[in-house]
Amino acid sequence: MIRYARLYLYFLRFSFSRAMEFRVDFFFRIFMDSLFYAVSLAFFWVIYKHSPFMGGWNFDQALVFAAGVFLNDALHMTLFSNNLWWFPVFVNKGDLDYYLVRPVSSLFFLSLRDFAANSFINLLIAVTILVWALTRYPEPLGVERVTLYCGLLLLGVFLGYVLNFLFLVPVFWMHNASGLRETYFGLGQLSGRPDGIFTGWVRRLLTSLLPFALIISFPTRALFDAEVGSVVLQMLAVTGGLFGVLLLLWRFGLRAYASASS
Amino acid sequence: MTIAALSRASTMIRVRDLQKTYYVHEKAPGLWGSIRSLVARKRIAKQAVQGVNLDVEEGEILGLVGPNGAGKTTLVKMLAGIIHPSGGDAQVLGHTPWERHNDFRRQIALIMGQKAQLWWDLPAADGFLLLKEIYRVPDERYAKNLAYLAEVLDVTKHLNVQVRRLSLGERMKMELIAALLHEPRVVFLDEPTIGLDLTAQRAIRDFLLAYREEHRPAMILTSHYMEDIERLCKRIVIIDGGEFIYDGPLERVAKTYATQKVITAHLRANVGTPIDLTAFERFGELLPAEENEVKLRVARDAVAEAAAALLAGLPVADLSIDEEDIGTIIERIFRERRVESS
Repeated sequence: MIRYARLYLYFLRFSFSRAMEFRVDFFFRIFMDSLFYAVSLAFFWVIYKHSPFMGGWNFDQALVFAAGVFLNDALHMTLFSNNLWWFPVFVNKGDLDYYLVRPVSSLFFLSLRDFAANSFINLLIAVTILVWALTRYPEPLGVERVTLYCGLLLLGVFLGYVLNFLFLVPVFWMHNASGLRETYFGLGQLSGRPDGIFTGWVRRLLTSLLPFALIISFPTRALFDAEVGSVVLQMLAVTGGLFGVLLLLWRFGLRAYASASS
Repeated sequence: MTIAALSRASTMIRVRDLQKTYYVHEKAPGLWGSIRSLVARKRIAKQAVQGVNLDVEEGEILGLVGPNGAGKTTLVKMLAGIIHPSGGDAQVLGHTPWERHNDFRRQIALIMGQKAQLWWDLPAADGFLLLKEIYRVPDERYAKNLAYLAEVLDVTKHLNVQVRRLSLGERMKMELIAALLHEPRVVFLDEPTIGLDLTAQRAIRDFLLAYREEHRPAMILTSHYMEDIERLCKRIVIIDGGEFIYDGPLERVAKTYATQKVITAHLRANVGTPIDLTAFERFGELLPAEENEVKLRVARDAVAEAAAALLAGLPVADLSIDEEDIGTIIERIFRERRVESS
């Protein structure tokens, strides 16, 4: 673990050095992402002007949920998205070769090597919005609940990464994953909606096999609902199960990897 | 320990009946072909490597020679653990490569002339630090190895320059350093001099020889440049269509496959009147030559007769009889195989 932490520190160092090489792009990305947060918050405000409740949450609770959506998005963009974006290209061009001969986990290397340093400021903005949303909440939330919420929010980020990767791994066999990638982005939008708006089999599907509703809604439930045990258990079980599936598919995928001729 | 056991101990790469089959689908040209392939596809098996056997010893540089698509890179990638074979077995340092044990991966290196492993936007020195961590190279050994490799390859002053700002030759040298920092016991070199100018090619060849002398790794080299092969490898494998068609000493290739020799007659200066050479065409093929020179490629058993005719018919000052160069012989082998198979 320590070794992997040290490797990750190198990734961070390299990613920051590289991002700062391209100054205009560095600042432009920060500006664009800040604009995205501002527009999203304004949209959220407009919705709650017309409806006092959504998915069982009032305005203050939904604001925390929305802040969770921003933070989840910022973490995913910063930690994983560059890496996952390039993964299918690497498979098709045979660029996994050097990753596979290194004596470290290829999944770790390919998932985390590129830290989006120019999203880092936006990560700070998202954290600020979340802290503001939590501190302005009219009732005391308690340190334990807030700590649990933060932990589950991070677990949700990990679950989002696992789901994203699961939609990309078939590229080993299909050689073109753009359809699956678009499907992931489409379904990923559902994680930004309160799970309470889904009912019946759709809800069952979105909290089990395609657990997009777990990613942000369930951590938020752990903050506001009376019963948190089942929320935590379901998140842990689904995330652990899907991560196991990902590891298995990764193993089989590498067996099918054909590289590319030189 | 017995002699047999000692001999086994020095075998670093052992390959038995290794095979790789790729499956591709065939599509007729045009839109209609695309529509048909959407519904029903004709799957074709392409045998990239067909049951090959190989042993490579410690300190040996084995040259893998073959035309494009012969199976060289596929074989190297199987031995480096990148791709899984369809059948057969291989042991590299006692490990099955495609199981990718960390102990195996710590002891090998792969250099691909057409692919970069260093971070493009950062100085090579930064990339080396990451590799130091990945391979757990102790500080002292890292400093010593880096200083040695950078000095021998003459790139010390470029270590802190971004990789993308280096010339192709300098970049390749950095790639070599990246691959060898952890002192691998087996090195796979896939066209390491491709695209380099002659000076850089020579520098890399000299370096590889010096490195082999000092560290005694087993190396497998693929290259389209015969000069790489001739300078670095005492033993070569000629591969075509996934099959080994020759495995043995480089010098024996000429003896085994050279059916012709080249006679060069250096004529005395100021010959004056133009010379009619058509009379010599009955011995073999007249080759392009310098001024005051006649070059004739003839069958081995016609060498004496042709040389005598040249001496008798031309004002010859000097005469040499040479084997065909190894590249020409290998090219001819491939050409003849193509003709036979078609």
